[in-house]
Amino acid sequence: MSTRTITLTVNDQTLTREVPVRKTLADFLREDLGLTGTHVGCELGQCGACTVLLNGDPVKSCLLFAVQAEGSQIVTVEGLAGKDALHPLQQAFHDHHALQCGFCTPGMLLAAVDLLSRNPAPKADEIRRHLSGNLCRCTGYVNIVKAIEAVGAGAAGTDTVSTGAVGAGNIQK
Amino acid sequence: MTQVTGYIGRSVKRKEDARLLRGEGRYLDDLNHLKPKQVAFWRSPYAHARIKAVRTAEARELPGVIAVFTGEDFAPVKPLVTEIQLEGYVAKPQDPVARDKASHAGEIVAVVVAEDRYIAEDALELIEVDFEPLPAVVDVDAALAEGSSLVHTEVPGNIYYRGRRVFGEVEAAFAKAELVFRETFRTSRIAGTPLEARGCLAEYDPYQDVLTVWSSTQIPSILHLKLAEIFGMHENGIRIIAPDMGGGFGIKAQIYPEEIIIPFLARALRLPVKWVQDRREDLLTGVHARDHRYELEAAVTREGVLTALRLRMLTDAGAFSSFPFGCTLEATGGARMILGPYKIRNYEYDTIAVATNKAPAGAYRGVAQPSCFFAIEGLMDIIAGKLGLDPAEIRRRNMLSSAELPYTNPIGIHFDSGSYGESLEKALQSARYAEVRGEQSRIPADAGRQIGIGLACYTEISGISSKGYQSRGVADVPGYDSVRMRMDPSGTVAIYTTLTSQGQGHWTTFAQIAATELGIEPDQVRVVDGDTGLAPLGTGTFASRASITGGGAVFRAAREIKRILLRVAGGMLDDLPPEELELGEGFVRARGRKLKVTLREAARKAYEIRSGGSETREIPGLEVIAYYDPPPSNWSNAVHLAVVELNLVTGFPRFLDYVVVSDCGNLINPMIVDGQIQGGAAQGIGEALLEALEYDPGGQLLTASWGDYLIPTALDVPEMKIEHITTPCPSTEGGVKGMGEGGAIGALPAVVNAVNDALRRSRCWTGVPITRAPVKPEDILRRVGAVGAEGGDGR
Ligand code: FES
Ligand code: FES
Repeated sequence: MSTRTITLTVNDQTLTREVPVRKTLADFLREDLGLTGTHVGCELGQCGACTVLLNGDPVKSCLLFAVQAEGSQIVTVEGLAGKDALHPLQQAFHDHHALQCGFCTPGMLLAAVDLLSRNPAPKADEIRRHLSGNLCRCTGYVNIVKAIEAVGAGAAGTDTVSTGAVGAGNIQK
Repeated sequence: MTQVTGYIGRSVKRKEDARLLRGEGRYLDDLNHLKPKQVAFWRSPYAHARIKAVRTAEARELPGVIAVFTGEDFAPVKPLVTEIQLEGYVAKPQDPVARDKASHAGEIVAVVVAEDRYIAEDALELIEVDFEPLPAVVDVDAALAEGSSLVHTEVPGNIYYRGRRVFGEVEAAFAKAELVFRETFRTSRIAGTPLEARGCLAEYDPYQDVLTVWSSTQIPSILHLKLAEIFGMHENGIRIIAPDMGGGFGIKAQIYPEEIIIPFLARALRLPVKWVQDRREDLLTGVHARDHRYELEAAVTREGVLTALRLRMLTDAGAFSSFPFGCTLEATGGARMILGPYKIRNYEYDTIAVATNKAPAGAYRGVAQPSCFFAIEGLMDIIAGKLGLDPAEIRRRNMLSSAELPYTNPIGIHFDSGSYGESLEKALQSARYAEVRGEQSRIPADAGRQIGIGLACYTEISGISSKGYQSRGVADVPGYDSVRMRMDPSGTVAIYTTLTSQGQGHWTTFAQIAATELGIEPDQVRVVDGDTGLAPLGTGTFASRASITGGGAVFRAAREIKRILLRVAGGMLDDLPPEELELGEGFVRARGRKLKVTLREAARKAYEIRSGGSETREIPGLEVIAYYDPPPSNWSNAVHLAVVELNLVTGFPRFLDYVVVSDCGNLINPMIVDGQIQGGAAQGIGEALLEALEYDPGGQLLTASWGDYLIPTALDVPEMKIEHITTPCPSTEGGVKGMGEGGAIGALPAVVNAVNDALRRSRCWTGVPITRAPVKPEDILRRVGAVGAEGGDGR
């Protein structure tokens, strides 16, 4: 299987790796870098569990090959806060019981980071529309919407929702 | 009002959240510490076909392929047999890998083990199988027709199970009936499809002769016992670990062929082996549910009181009777549960589980309750409509009142506590029922948007006991659960249980119970779940049971630790007897006196075997095992009320209001209970409006991705008003009743009733309600004549 060497920045850490050209970005993050917080729910771009930020935009990492991320900046859920800290969105998800099994959660968080970066105080219907590509089978979404709404309301005018990437995540050497 | 005792009844924030939020969960696919080899399955493209030859030579030669197995290689493995001790049930053994023929599309025919999944899937392409296609049986009517092709020769007439029972004087009641109503209700085949699909990882250690299996299973104990039997191993040579799970909903409460194949491979190859299911495999082979038909006949008085009910029920069991609950699960479940909170004294059922060439049916949240209440609640509305009664009123006239409790219904279900009428009235009030009825009546019949109100009143079975499973003939489900609990010398507590958590938050709720009983903080309690190597065997997390059975075992274990602790502490406090001591805030205190010791001192004392504490008791330490087999009757009840605005131009309903009144006895953590209700109702809304697995006439699944099989998105689920009535269960530990499935039970009937109610107000009402779920926009448009009629299925 042909491989290629790529250089990219993941959660503020720049790294170079050789990858098979057909390996998805999701599998690369999970298997090669050990960042298993990015989840794979469908491999078809239908559930959003694998959402990461690529150069600031949300992408479904199951639909990209790792080689397509050459030279880009990636943020995964591990990069949202420091090891023992919680990002304001993570804190709000905890406070509002916005997760049950937690499988959809990393994708939800990154979709929400993206929304708040464009619209710091979104209303419930805007949040729902923005999350319509992220499936959750456990919560019925209501608490997720409330958590995001609360962060939006609390953070209007501040920058607390930018990703505070603290070189986080145990990237495998 | 929620009752608060210590931490019980409080919305304690979840202990499991932080690591899940940081992406530090450990779901099955995250377990790579063993650097396992990867498996991919070659699955039958035919629904029914004889296997003539399986050619794997080319696949074996592909670099990176470690081994390829076919059915014959599994000959030493005992087939899986689902034993159901009920008259009228036929057992059919299932091989993990098909040998002579494939009985449904997706059945495993060959297995590839390779260095990685990409290579394993490449190798699948190189496998060739010669099939001789056989006629596929894909619906229950065809399956039951004279001369139908047989799914299995061992299952005569394609009838896996038939149960017929008469309770009371049904004939006589129909003979005297003032009115008789007949109606047929159907629900579509659906999938639970948790966001994390299934998976299995196994490692065999020949030195210790121990097989360790990580599986996304809700029933580690049951899997443990079955694998020992199937492989002829000692139980103590097996350890099952259920890691974090991304949802389960019953789908992971069966034993699947892959859970036998993967451990078999690990033993055969002496290599760690892993398989992670993809979404197509999940929709194709994860147990399906609810492919039901209810043919109802009711004897009714002119006042709308049901005096007798007859049910003929057909369920499509698929190709195999899934393990351990069997194809009787929904067939008997729907037939037994349908009377709900109603006093129907004469009842008769004839229920059949039909074999077809589809994936096996099994447990999914609520089991047959969503569909049976869809039928009976739909019928209530139809009768009310004909008699000019308000839907709430006909329910009042038939409903069991609290004053009539305890009550045993004709089939022997015993209700010891509940609030059926009170829940209904509270829901009506909370939804401003009378006002909304008023608004509704002011909308002209030719308006393009109509408001509809739908009600669903139901009872929910929970915490089924050993006796309960015995009476259902289910041989391999124990019915009790258990914990091992240890208080360490430092006074902190660990709880080990084989119960699993797939989102329910047991780390938190079990800690709340233990902390309350022992007078410590929930943060001082660690819960380790889903591991049969660390905990005594039990049953598992499904059918609304863990809070009753696991919670009950935690209550008991904590009390036993408290008993020991008080005896030890007594020895440190002037030899005071336990009655004069109390535990709280980290101390053991003498009642009414200043004397006290810290809990930590007492705990440390309990571990001393030389002197002091040891004299006051038989063995050192603070470690106990507790079991809990609940009493046979744990029924919660609830009412869902949905208000929709139905757009007759687009066919889409929109929620204007959604009220749930739930009575599940004492609540351990209201925040978690409400989350379960909200999430369950979301699934029920999917069942009502979106979800259907469609097969073509050849038995091919047409809906094998989430692009075809639609589950609710954030745009489809409304915010709900959730309220509680608390009628503690008189017989369970802590007075709790289970409720995990309830949300999914009430939503299907409430939402479809609401849509029908809206249709009933419009000028295109034909007098015939929709009695088939899901109700899709095209069904509405067909009603209003916007699209041509299609199909003759009574839509
Ligand atoms: S896994 Fe990428 S969208 Fe579902
Ligand atoms: S919390 Fe389980 S899928 Fe969203």
